[in-house]
Amino acid sequence: MTDLVGILVTTVILGSIYGLVAIGMTLIYGTLRILDMSQGSMVMIGSFVGWGILVSAHWNPVLAIVFAFAATFVLGMMTQLVSVQPLMGRRKAIDFEMVTFITTFAVAMILENVALEVFGPQQRNVTPVVSGGVNVYHGVNLPYQSIAMAAISILLMGGLGLFLGKTRWGMAIRAVAQDLDAARLMGVPVSKLYPVTMGLASSLAGVAGVFLGAQFFAYPQAGDLPLLEALIVVVFGGLGSLPGTVYAAYVIGLIQATTEVFLGTTWSLPILYGVILFVLIFRPQGLLGKPSEARL
Amino acid sequence: MNEGHSRALFPDMTSGRWSLAVLVVLALAAFPLVESNQYILSVFVTTMILLVMNMSWNFILGVAGVWNFGQLAVYALGGYGAGILMLHTGLPPVLDVVVGGLIGAAVSVLMAVPTLRLFGIYTSLLTFAFAEIVQYLILNDGSGLTGGSYGFPSVKGLYSFLSPVASMHAYYWTLLGVIVASTVAIALVTRSRLGIALRAIRDAPAFAAARGVSPLRYRILAFGLSGFLAGIAGALYLCFEQSIDPSIMGLTPMSLDVTMLVIGGLGTIFGPAIGTTIVTVVETVLVNHPGVQLTVVGIFLLVIVVFVPGGIVGLVGKVRARLSAWAEEGEEEAEEPEATEGVAPAGGTAGALDPIAIHDTTGAPTDVAP
Repeated sequence: MTDLVGILVTTVILGSIYGLVAIGMTLIYGTLRILDMSQGSMVMIGSFVGWGILVSAHWNPVLAIVFAFAATFVLGMMTQLVSVQPLMGRRKAIDFEMVTFITTFAVAMILENVALEVFGPQQRNVTPVVSGGVNVYHGVNLPYQSIAMAAISILLMGGLGLFLGKTRWGMAIRAVAQDLDAARLMGVPVSKLYPVTMGLASSLAGVAGVFLGAQFFAYPQAGDLPLLEALIVVVFGGLGSLPGTVYAAYVIGLIQATTEVFLGTTWSLPILYGVILFVLIFRPQGLLGKPSEARL
Repeated sequence: MNEGHSRALFPDMTSGRWSLAVLVVLALAAFPLVESNQYILSVFVTTMILLVMNMSWNFILGVAGVWNFGQLAVYALGGYGAGILMLHTGLPPVLDVVVGGLIGAAVSVLMAVPTLRLFGIYTSLLTFAFAEIVQYLILNDGSGLTGGSYGFPSVKGLYSFLSPVASMHAYYWTLLGVIVASTVAIALVTRSRLGIALRAIRDAPAFAAARGVSPLRYRILAFGLSGFLAGIAGALYLCFEQSIDPSIMGLTPMSLDVTMLVIGGLGTIFGPAIGTTIVTVVETVLVNHPGVQLTVVGIFLLVIVVFVPGGIVGLVGKVRARLSAWAEEGEEEAEEPEATEGVAPAGGTAGALDPIAIHDTTGAPTDVAP
């Protein structure tokens, strides 16, 4: 029973944080048709912003989240302008996905190594956004930090849903995702929309970074693992499907929590990759993705 | 070499360029005779091992256009396979290297089968997942077969009977021979029916399939060939370093290798050599500043992909075409486009990064974002 409660609690926490990082990737893939490899670096930047504000400056945790959001929003917009916008002319070429995969990867490499040069390789402790915890069940301790992490992730995911569903900009993003040419004909300023989309997605990863930094550490490679996990989630959920991503985040969280309890942490990633191999072989479009025509 | 034959193999190579290529190879072959610094020689040898690996990857990534990101796992498994044989059997080391290549080919074909249903980004995710699993399995291997995260137990290598200096020379010349042989082999394959079929599948899969070119057969063949070369490279790495460990796989080595290929020119014959050389020089010069090192490499990668889609080989081809077109302008103006085509680079189909005519017709001009 303790195991079961532990697994469920971990599932909710892991799933929420994966969802937050992965939903940005899905949003970008849905609108721009690119797999943004710089999302991991945004998590890392978020961790460092969290460290700077919580540890160096001793400011309010809310400020850490706000600053991380703003910093990664700007960085995400810049990433789009530098690595994707110049290539939009080749959007219909067969290799567009791969070319942008490489350029965003290059941005990730640059960000990671600039961080390495500026902050050095050491791991920095980030103080939790909120301290303390509550005992939910015999032996299952739940830190407030984790509750805040899950709550804010769910809030942000819900907020993103509202933004996409109700606001002018959100509807424009969805219009572009559905039919670029029609959206353009209706007067959607596509070239302004793309950077905003990527900024928004990156800022979600940045906020996740503040929490992940406290969970683990802030260091230049802090984004690698979240990136790999987010990749697994988006493939599992189906590239470009927002609801699919959210479901997949919790399913992947459940698989990981179960693996950690029964087999140990070293096995969680290999097992997740095994799941992904299985999914790609038998259901390549993922949980809720639509089969794309660009496949044999 | 027969002039007519060589021109068919490398249509771009004049006799002057041939002599240049031969001179470069000869100069490289003579280099260890004048350079006695063992550190510099070892940098050359490791670079050449990496180049063999990059050539194998270039074949599958650039020529076949399959976005395979599991090549480093094939490379590592070739090395581990050869190492296990070398440690536990009495086979001659050369045979171990060949078996390493065969293991690479087998692993690569195994990886190819599930990717046949997939395309583009999905292929890269699947192959990358495969590579990650291989790395985790080796890292957490407690059976003692691979040595886990500590690395493989020390092996003798190819030239254990020679003195250290002589064996360094022997490795150097072996690698040079392997590189020359595989360059010729890859050029031959690229110009053969197989190569044409692979490029057709890469550029227009539906058309190629409709013309009776089986993507299944040719993709598996391409994976096998590229895996064999990668396995050989892995086995040579094991022999030269006398060990191997899981750190040769993973995100950082992969990003370096991709950068080498893209900078040189994906899908070209000489692109990997150029890219590997440039990145290695940058790495060696900035060896004391790991952060700056990879930042520079990343900026290189970004700039090349955005501004020079064909890599350096493509750029050279374009500049040359521009120059000769400009020179011929006065003589025959009407023939200009043909003249430009005639001087296009040898393997310079400029890989998958080149805009393709078929797709250009589908892309309306409105696609260019303002």
